[in-house]
Amino acid sequence: MARGPQRNLLNKRAVPPASGAGAPPPMPLPSNPLAPPPCGVTPPTPHPGPPPPGYMTTPPPPLGPIRSQVEANSSQSESEPAVEGVVLVLSRALAACRQTVKDQVCNDVAKRLHLLEDSWKSGKLSLPVQRRMDTLVQELQAGHWDSADEIHRSLMVDHVTEVSQWMVGVKRLIAETRKLSPELLEPLQKPAEPALDPVESVQDPVSQS
Amino acid sequence: MATYQEFIQQNEDRDGVRFSWNFWPSSRLEATRLVVPVSCLFTPLKERPDLPPVQYEPVLCSRANCKAVLNPLCQVDFRAKIWACNFCFQRNPFPPSYAGISEVNQPAELMPQFSTIEYIVQHGPPTPLIFLYVVDTCLEEEDLQALKESLQMSLSLLPPNALVGLITFGRMVQVHELSCEGIAKSYVFRGTKDLSSKQIQEMLGLTNSAPLGQQGRPLVPQDAAAFCRFLQPVHRVDMNLTDLLGELQRDPWPVPQGKRPLRSTGVALSVAVGLLEGSFPNTGARVMLFIGGPPTQGPGMVVGDELKTPIRSWHDIQKDNARHLKKATKYYEALANRSAVNGHSIDIYACALDQSGLLEMKCLSTLTGGHIVMGDSFNTSLFKQTFQRVFSKDYNGDFRMAFGGVLEVKEMGVGGTNQWKVCSLTPSTTLGIYFEVVNQHNAPIPQGGRGAVQFVTQYQHSNTQRRIRVTTIARNWADAQTQIQHIESSFDQEAAAVLMARLGVFRAESEEGPDVLRWLDRQLIRLCQKFGQFNKDDPASFRLSESLSLYPQFMFHLRRSPFLQVFNNSPDESSYYRHHFVRQDLTQSLIMIQPILYSYSFHGPPEPVLLDSSSILPDRILLMDTFFQLVIYHGETISQWRKAGYQKMAEYENFKQLLQAPLDDAQELLHARFPMPRYIDTEHGGSQARFLLSKVNPSQTHNSLYTWGQETGSPILTDDVSLQVFMDHLKKLAVSSST
Repeated sequence: MARGPQRNLLNKRAVPPASGAGAPPPMPLPSNPLAPPPCGVTPPTPHPGPPPPGYMTTPPPPLGPIRSQVEANSSQSESEPAVEGVVLVLSRALAACRQTVKDQVCNDVAKRLHLLEDSWKSGKLSLPVQRRMDTLVQELQAGHWDSADEIHRSLMVDHVTEVSQWMVGVKRLIAETRKLSPELLEPLQKPAEPALDPVESVQDPVSQS
Repeated sequence: MATYQEFIQQNEDRDGVRFSWNFWPSSRLEATRLVVPVSCLFTPLKERPDLPPVQYEPVLCSRANCKAVLNPLCQVDFRAKIWACNFCFQRNPFPPSYAGISEVNQPAELMPQFSTIEYIVQHGPPTPLIFLYVVDTCLEEEDLQALKESLQMSLSLLPPNALVGLITFGRMVQVHELSCEGIAKSYVFRGTKDLSSKQIQEMLGLTNSAPLGQQGRPLVPQDAAAFCRFLQPVHRVDMNLTDLLGELQRDPWPVPQGKRPLRSTGVALSVAVGLLEGSFPNTGARVMLFIGGPPTQGPGMVVGDELKTPIRSWHDIQKDNARHLKKATKYYEALANRSAVNGHSIDIYACALDQSGLLEMKCLSTLTGGHIVMGDSFNTSLFKQTFQRVFSKDYNGDFRMAFGGVLEVKEMGVGGTNQWKVCSLTPSTTLGIYFEVVNQHNAPIPQGGRGAVQFVTQYQHSNTQRRIRVTTIARNWADAQTQIQHIESSFDQEAAAVLMARLGVFRAESEEGPDVLRWLDRQLIRLCQKFGQFNKDDPASFRLSESLSLYPQFMFHLRRSPFLQVFNNSPDESSYYRHHFVRQDLTQSLIMIQPILYSYSFHGPPEPVLLDSSSILPDRILLMDTFFQLVIYHGETISQWRKAGYQKMAEYENFKQLLQAPLDDAQELLHARFPMPRYIDTEHGGSQARFLLSKVNPSQTHNSLYTWGQETGSPILTDDVSLQVFMDHLKKLAVSSST
């Protein structure tokens, strides 16, 4: 039966023929009463006929939907995003938060940003994760908090093994940054110039094992 | 006048209601003669994107033992601003805020298209949702790692203001304090000794700092959160909890050879329920239990720790050889009832290769509206994706879960109320409600000729608002003596099949299996005798009208289904299937009774085919949906072509597409359904083909093959009776003057 707005594929049943109460079709009588009874299963032929050839005019449609996040249109080439750019934006956001957010929390976030940087530099992060992080920081810079949050969530859902150690820090960073008053956000919104800007060096908290 | 199909469909779309009979017999005697009771499937929180909630309180009838809600069936005097309750006929004045209403300016709740309407009735500050994770640490390393990651992931899906807590257990039970600074602390309980709720609260220090405000009144929950160190807001503890989860180790107690790990599930749950009872009674909360095997020690144990004693099978139960069954079930029922009283629901996520004790623990979810998810391991996409879907969001970005549900059913002329606590609900949760017609035989049809029922569901929305959804429906009474054809044509065979099936499952849980089948068969024969057209003792003359024509087929498949045939499954599996069967909506329930089969071939677009062995053909691909499994079966020739690799050749692009088509269609179902079905890709001769072969009607078996001489279809090796034989017997019995 058709339902409301959702498309409900594969919900139909074959209607049994109207003879009586839902009985299957009556058995066909053998046309030649002298033919031998059918043996159970015909043995497979060693070289079965090929499937009927199809048309070859147009190239085949791509197989199935591509199940990834729609990425923000970026003018980047196909090459990997730069880790420094991503870390820079996150560090700036963290610096902006230092004024109002508790030290304990900021240090905790910083620790995780370091983990992120280490994982990235040691090649532990796959390309989709790198790309999405790049998009995330762009959204963060632009003040699109919900969008950044959505990307963090999608990374946690799709790539939890790679990101679980540090992603909660990024999540917290988004949550705290969005609460800041606009003047504190200005440094964050400057375009990234990795060569010139000093990266924030964080006081290492008491070493944790 | 729309056809009955359209009428039935419109009513389901609007009100989430499907009645077995849409004309109601006017006396109790006639109702029993109809065999199928007057009953309905009702989905209280059916998703209605087109129905915005109204922001005011519902208007109630002033009669103390009525209190029905104003609805489109009420007579209204717009001049005098008075309305007559259609349930008790009391005349009620409208409240002052309704002074401006008129025929041309009616409030929504009087308009027929708002037979279902939702009110937002927030009283006081909103209470946050609570999620308490109860985690078994007696898992294999890989499994535990996967579970930890899923839990960490879920923290990103919880709303920031939700409260979250963690209890881990193995041989001991640990309640973790979620402070944001310093060393992580936890409280440890022995897994062997059950404690009362009071003792648990005392030991956790919850009674000492009894949260009382300035005037000695209890603090509202968000202030209580400050006092409850074990349940803290996500936004405050997510980093700590992520680390805590990351550092969880397997239960440290070594498991000797030939033994099972000591798992104290009973005490763990007792602590969880006690913790919530003490700190957040009457607030929407979800206990999420993750287990990798059965409880093996303490109260609620299901099996001992000796591996050589296997966990109970259906045979054991039948022979009364299941030592722990009664005691454990009783223990969990008591916990479930305490939880339900407080509006707290309990989910069970059981991933293990062997049984985990779902049979005994099922009541925890059934009585509280919680989920049960069963899988082989936490390290599978089936678990991971199903778990993600627990937190899926609707068109408004809110969770598809509701808490603290209370359903009240009002009927005409019946005093008092019928109320049920439903605790946790989803948009698809569907209840079966069975009515009893109380009129005496030959009493005149009640005034107005229509019967009415009102469903009032109060609940806490996932966005923490309190809401009331009201559905009011009416159907015509009919005199069975003179209007039997009306009643017959108003039969909804799909709804009736599911409603009878639910009754059957309910019986099966307390009666012997064969008795239930006999009962089901008897009802079917009686129905056919009542409504079939036939000449006495002439089976070939038997006919059923269109409104009943599919019903026998549904009953045939129901008899063979895992809901009533238990010996092919473990007790846990049967419990799992039954649990889902009695809460799904009609469409999904029908799929469970009679799976859907689609055929893919070069001969045309995909088409539904009979669930019959004759549909299994060498040059077809079949997609079968049983709700719990999605089976793609490649016919013999197809599978040979596949092995030969034709899909890789450019000229056979269409074959590649044919192979892909069912996969694409299956994806839609795999992504939407909760719980995620098991995906099985098999072929002629494959060992997993049994999933398909056991479901199809065996119209050709090794017995029947030579008798019927049919050449199409694959024979099934079984002694099960086929639909044809079943129908023959049914007709014989229905027309017989001696039955």
